[in-house]
Amino acid sequence: MPALTTKNILLTAVLLTGSFTGLLAQQRKTVEFTGGARSGMTNSRLHTQDSIPDTATVRRQTGGYALIDLGVNIRPNANTEILGMFRIRNQYGGFWGAGVSFDVRQLWLKGVVANVLRYQVGDLNLKQTPFTLYNPHADRLDSLPEIFRLQQQIVDYERFYQRNTWRQQGIHLATGFQFDRYLKDADVQAYITRLQATDFATRPERLMGGYTLRIRQSENFSLAWNAFSVFDVKGTALDTATFNNTVHSVQAGLRFLKKLQLQTEAGTSRFAHNGGTQPFSLNDYFIHTRGLWTSKNRRLELHAAYLNVGPDFRSVGAQSKDVRYNAAPAYFNTYANGRFDRPIGLYDQIGNEQLYNVSVNTALQPVNPAYNFVLPFGLATFNRVGGYGGLGLRLPGGLSGTITHHRLSEIRGQGTLLRTGFARTQLYWLADIGEAAKWKKALRIRAGIDHQSAKRNSETDYERIDFSTTRYSAGAEIEIFRQIDLMAGLAGIRSEGNLLVPERDAFTRVNFISPLNMDQLQLIQAAGLRCRFGTGTWLTLMAQASRYEDAKQAQPPYRLNQINIIYNMTF
Amino acid sequence: MRIPLLLLLGIIALGTGSCRKDKEQFDGPSLRDLFSEFTLLEPFRANRDSVNFANGQSLNFSARFNKVVQWNIRIRGLASGAEKVISGQSTAIDATNGLWNGSTTSFPVFRAENCLATLRIDGVNDSFELPIRVSAPKKNNGLLIADFENGINSQWNRFVQSGAAMDFNVKNDALAPQGSRYLQMAGTVNWDWLIGLIDFPATAYGSGNTFALSTNPDGVYFNCMIYGVPGTNPSLVLFQFKEDENSDGNTNAANEDQYDLEVRVNWTGWKLISVRYSDLPSLVNGQPATPKGNARHNPDKLGKISMLHLADPSAGFASSKIDYLIITDRPLEP
Repeated sequence: MPALTTKNILLTAVLLTGSFTGLLAQQRKTVEFTGGARSGMTNSRLHTQDSIPDTATVRRQTGGYALIDLGVNIRPNANTEILGMFRIRNQYGGFWGAGVSFDVRQLWLKGVVANVLRYQVGDLNLKQTPFTLYNPHADRLDSLPEIFRLQQQIVDYERFYQRNTWRQQGIHLATGFQFDRYLKDADVQAYITRLQATDFATRPERLMGGYTLRIRQSENFSLAWNAFSVFDVKGTALDTATFNNTVHSVQAGLRFLKKLQLQTEAGTSRFAHNGGTQPFSLNDYFIHTRGLWTSKNRRLELHAAYLNVGPDFRSVGAQSKDVRYNAAPAYFNTYANGRFDRPIGLYDQIGNEQLYNVSVNTALQPVNPAYNFVLPFGLATFNRVGGYGGLGLRLPGGLSGTITHHRLSEIRGQGTLLRTGFARTQLYWLADIGEAAKWKKALRIRAGIDHQSAKRNSETDYERIDFSTTRYSAGAEIEIFRQIDLMAGLAGIRSEGNLLVPERDAFTRVNFISPLNMDQLQLIQAAGLRCRFGTGTWLTLMAQASRYEDAKQAQPPYRLNQINIIYNMTF
Repeated sequence: MRIPLLLLLGIIALGTGSCRKDKEQFDGPSLRDLFSEFTLLEPFRANRDSVNFANGQSLNFSARFNKVVQWNIRIRGLASGAEKVISGQSTAIDATNGLWNGSTTSFPVFRAENCLATLRIDGVNDSFELPIRVSAPKKNNGLLIADFENGINSQWNRFVQSGAAMDFNVKNDALAPQGSRYLQMAGTVNWDWLIGLIDFPATAYGSGNTFALSTNPDGVYFNCMIYGVPGTNPSLVLFQFKEDENSDGNTNAANEDQYDLEVRVNWTGWKLISVRYSDLPSLVNGQPATPKGNARHNPDKLGKISMLHLADPSAGFASSKIDYLIITDRPLEP
């Protein structure tokens, strides 16, 4: 047996959200204020093109808000840290009465027990692996220009998104060990959170729990066991029907010759509704293996992967989408004389936090094929088999880029034995010209494209699928004066063809298949100025123009123009 | 290093060499069923041209399609106007889903007559027709209380108020839902809720002081057909089921059970009322009350059924019609 001595017990820095700095710096103040403030003013205008004059839609909306998140960070001793954060928000025109809200935004306590066990209770930001608990942000474009990234950062802040985490409330424990022989170290983390409170009648108490046990034999080999489960607590509601979804996975990491890495994760899932009138369960497995080669100077990376996720693989923690395409867009909800709900556009998807989930969902969220239909739930997208590969390049002179190509297919057909094939190519390019030219001021240009296609050939018309969507973006940020940036960018989507979209019941079974024809064009262009006052503090004025049209849908085209002034500060 | 490498290779082999059977199945409904063009593979037929339901015969329709379709067969009595609708969602119509036992969906009930069966498929413009002869209509097993085919039985007790436009008589016209006659109940009584009543004593049915019914209240159903007349003061038809618990030949609500069925006639046309005896409440002035006898439903002790036609005296002329009062061992399928 490997020796395990007290002096070798080590706290591994595996806790979730990164910073545990409060515990490490005893010399810091015992009480600190932390938080942020933001204010935004908006003027929006909707233009529609319809054969019937639209006299029922208000064309212009203005509004604004100011909010402050005030957190008190208390360190009563070297091993304990407490954060309570309150939010005061006021709609402009509320005059400190109507429109004012006062909320608790964050509340957590963390610490170390006997220098061995780390704990955190209250708010947690959790993730495990892409197949167990993970927020893949599957529909986001990595290449978005800075002017849109600013808006996504606000969404991330509002919805507590941090590096693919989901916000939960519960308890998290972590500990780690170092060994003298055979093994290098090991760490364990476990959590349990509450997803849903009971209503004592039909809705039972629903909890989410999981753990990861990771062992590193050396720098060249590691092994991990992950477990994730969402389950109802029996007896907490009169209705005896309960739900549970359990995922187990094993991860292995190998490194050869310091250049080649092989990473594999494989596991199983069980998705079950027990008791009640319709007991039901789905069981399946997945495997994901990825090889990565890195050049000696680290300027070139090549990767290739094999992915096989079963059609009945269900993982609530990994297959929850961040964006809700079935949500109302929060303003200009209807148009064309109230005949149509305004479809969610790229403009909403980029910057409207109202569309985004905070936590995981036990029901599969709708997929919008204009954004992503190849891997709409990230790597954990069920019913996919195939491979992907690509390269990453970092050239001297501030140029870097990645290209990835996916070639996948369904494992099980939808409504037919024929299976749909998918292809996806992503290209992202960044030129940091300011750094390359060693200018004192920044000049960055980004561009990217994500092309996806689905094809299924058949002798019969109704089985054929031929669909593609191309998302693209390009933009630049130029520091025109010290700490004043000029930003401009555009992003667009072009989707056309026909798809057959499975509709699912509460048990995620396909109960109908709807034909979908699209000839959609979306484009958003933006330009603005940003004044930076320091880290995390900026003021921006931006103008955006977006358009949405789909020749195959009944909704008439619309254009939405907006002027924003946003002041943001973190402290 | 060899062991981890073998482990990894094993995991990869598990995935790549997987023996999934997904190529032989698919998720959801078949696209062919949902979207392919409809074809009738076997024509719409019946297993006989003429059917005698009274003898226990039935009629089986059949047809076969190239995909799952939503279908319905509408059988219409060409003389009576009776209608029966059979519907389903399947690739075939056969004895399991296309059986007609002579029952009726829309009143009147079928009689001995020529009928026309029409098959319609959702999303298909064409329909398919089939002529059928009903040589004898369906017979319902049970204790017939009244079908008014022979008028008012002299052993029934009838009381009619002396109001205006009173009409508490048996009618013989095309409105009859069963047979050719029914009871009209109409009039204006502006001083009392009661317009008229008929008592049906067990002695009128030749079985002594009580009706010849099962002892099991869960296996006894009271059924009747009531017609609501549009544009009149809504009728309230009250049935009283009076038990003779002490077998003295009298029913006394003061010390024996009486159960009630109150029907508010707020519809237009004929409607079948069917109630299980054990579900009948005891009512006093329309409100649930505790029966005064043994408080147990005893259909075998039922001594008298009273039918009262009531209406709000301040609301003017009230009118409704009633037919085919029958007690059965299951809900009546007319």
